[in-house]
Amino acid sequence: MHAGSSAGDPAAASAPAPVTRSLPVRLGRAPLLALAALSMLAGVAGGLARLGVALPGPAADLTLHHGPLMVAGLFGTVIGLERAVAAGARWTFLGPLASGLAGLLLVAGGPVGVAAGLFALAGLVMLAGGLVMAVRHPALHTAVLAGGGACWLAGNLVWLAGRPLAEAVPWWIGFLVLVIAGERLELSRLLKPPPGRTALFLAAAALLAGGIVLSSLDRAGELAPVGPGLLALAAWLLRYDIARRTVRQGGLVRYVAVCLLGGYGWLAAGGLLALSDAAFARDAALHAVFLGFVLTMVFAHAPIILPALLKVTVPYRPLFYLHVAILHGSLALRLLADLTDRVELRACGGLGNALAILVFAAMTVASAVRGRTAGRRGPPSAP
Amino acid sequence: MAMPEFLNRWTRKAADANGRPPRPAPETPGEIVREALRTVLDPEVGVNIVDLGLVYAVEATEERVRTDITLTTPTCPLGETVAEDARAAIRQALPGVRDLSVRLVWEPAWTPAMMSDDARRQLGW
Repeated sequence: MHAGSSAGDPAAASAPAPVTRSLPVRLGRAPLLALAALSMLAGVAGGLARLGVALPGPAADLTLHHGPLMVAGLFGTVIGLERAVAAGARWTFLGPLASGLAGLLLVAGGPVGVAAGLFALAGLVMLAGGLVMAVRHPALHTAVLAGGGACWLAGNLVWLAGRPLAEAVPWWIGFLVLVIAGERLELSRLLKPPPGRTALFLAAAALLAGGIVLSSLDRAGELAPVGPGLLALAAWLLRYDIARRTVRQGGLVRYVAVCLLGGYGWLAAGGLLALSDAAFARDAALHAVFLGFVLTMVFAHAPIILPALLKVTVPYRPLFYLHVAILHGSLALRLLADLTDRVELRACGGLGNALAILVFAAMTVASAVRGRTAGRRGPPSAP
Repeated sequence: MAMPEFLNRWTRKAADANGRPPRPAPETPGEIVREALRTVLDPEVGVNIVDLGLVYAVEATEERVRTDITLTTPTCPLGETVAEDARAAIRQALPGVRDLSVRLVWEPAWTPAMMSDDARRQLGW
């Protein structure tokens, strides 16, 4: 929806049935989400193959692309789609289309350079969309979102330039963490502003940005420089996010808040692990950030964002806590295995991570079907 | 699959237990529309869009309703959803409406000062 445009066409609204003008547009988003889901499935298969869990099919070929599929193919496409829906302009959908197709290309065994180029295009579109928004609506949070887009583009350009994937990873961390933190910064305005809230955010974000540059350009993608910034932003989120207050409510609002607060804990853990020199600390730090923080955000917001993306309702159910518990429990197991160098335990943790994603997907689909059925029946009070 | 009762209670804890007096019944179409829009909640904050200060204008008769709403930021992807929820709430409250428009607007930009005292209380101001 374009800013300032009419959400209710009087001509359409006067029709007897509540026909939604934007429905065909929303249906067009489903293939983009399907591409993201394909990246996710292939990425999970590749990740499990890395852990030595044999799966039928070409999973072994996907081991190389596990990271790009999960971060760029899945998160990049989902967040690109969310940003495009917020921006409303048709051209912004080119971003998630490019990253979704890039994921498909990786799954199909296509040329990695072309996939990296498509991911770079997705980054360019997200940055352009972020800059347009920041110019139209100047505010710290719009600038932070644009900064997240810049990181997304930078990481993909590093990869496209033929540098080792490890050097792209700090930028990808910056992309996801800044986009999420920017959205949380915006919502934190609903709370009474304590002194220093904005200044501390700026300091934490600057610490992260500096760490990313140092890591990627000077330390071959080593994560230690990124650790302090992750810790600082996690501390900011734990202190100033609205979730601390909304967790006292009930239902979906509390579920989201519990997920958020748990995610911030994992972000802090990721920051600490980035500073560790234990044998598998890198695996632990990356999964604390990407699964513990980012995937938990996806779990939290799916019931809210899917209606906006696809015009399906995903009614909240207390059972949603199940996939969050599986994810966090198995992630803790995985991190423990990483730090104690126990291969079989790490595989168990990885299987648990995959199970959490499957349960989440099944639960979300089941809830959407239930919501659709309830919608057809109409509200209980309807005549 | 049954959940333990304590978990059910914990996850369903009442949001608003501050014992406010009941609001007087709405009488004019404008009041009915505003009351209907109080059923549209920000899904993440749990506060309705009227108390959040997101409803900028309501012009209403029994047959024609014009409403301007906003979001706390244009970077939020929920604009279409909130507008549709608002339309559904208005249709349910005023079934005779033949001409309904819910516009999403960004001017003036929302600020926290637009929140009602109730919303501020809920959010700890």
